[in-house]
Amino acid sequence: MNNRLKVLRAERNWSQADLAAALGVSRQTVNALETGRYDPSLPLAFKIARVFSQPIESIFSDTGA
Amino acid sequence: MMSQAEDRRQSLPQKIGIAVVLGGLGALTGYGMAQIFKDEGAPWPDVLAMAMAVALIAVGLLSAAVMATRPSSVPKGCGILQVVVFLLAGVMLLAPMYAPALATPDVVFGGIVVLLAIQTVANVLLWRRADEMLRQVMADTSVMAFWALQTALFLYAAAERLGLIETISGWGLTGILMAVYLLASIVASARRGIT
Repeated sequence: MNNRLKVLRAERNWSQADLAAALGVSRQTVNALETGRYDPSLPLAFKIARVFSQPIESIFSDTGA
Repeated sequence: MMSQAEDRRQSLPQKIGIAVVLGGLGALTGYGMAQIFKDEGAPWPDVLAMAMAVALIAVGLLSAAVMATRPSSVPKGCGILQVVVFLLAGVMLLAPMYAPALATPDVVFGGIVVLLAIQTVANVLLWRRADEMLRQVMADTSVMAFWALQTALFLYAAAERLGLIETISGWGLTGILMAVYLLASIVASARRGIT
């Protein structure tokens, strides 16, 4: 699965630690999400969507980014 | 809510401190292992257990150093729990070999039971406080280790029943189990980019 987490985070000038704190996960988890090494659970995907105020489908996709 | 800070960069003194700690740990590990292998009288289960104990304690100390230089408040308490789990695992592997020089076997065994109980509580707390990816890494580690160990155990048991190989002691099997589990945890962590 592909995602736009890194782009969205950069647009807001947030560090990985900032995003991790907002999501309640570790910085390593944010890094793994951004690098495609880990796909989030549905609850975490919804939380990410809420943090960025965007629908899930605009953040995650199952096609090439 | 957001601090809008850039990703934390380590200062030069921090980098030097980490390098010194890592270098010291490496030197101590190498020296310790050299002493063990130099002792030709040491049975292989003891050598393996010693190697695993040194590796676990080294990882625990390394984790503590990382936690001190790059603290993370999320997930709360996971860092210290990981350090406790690693260090206790190492101490419990060392105790049966070296603690009898300090106390009677029954006292040593009682101490190991207490340490195991503390480590079990720490493990449960770690699972409960971990975020979903850390839990996934722990689950992946367990699956890989279980698959590898049950396969190896069956092959060993069959070969032993056929009289093809000598019986391995429970202590030897424990050392092998720890080695496989440590390797599985390294693979599972690396797959998620945790190094």
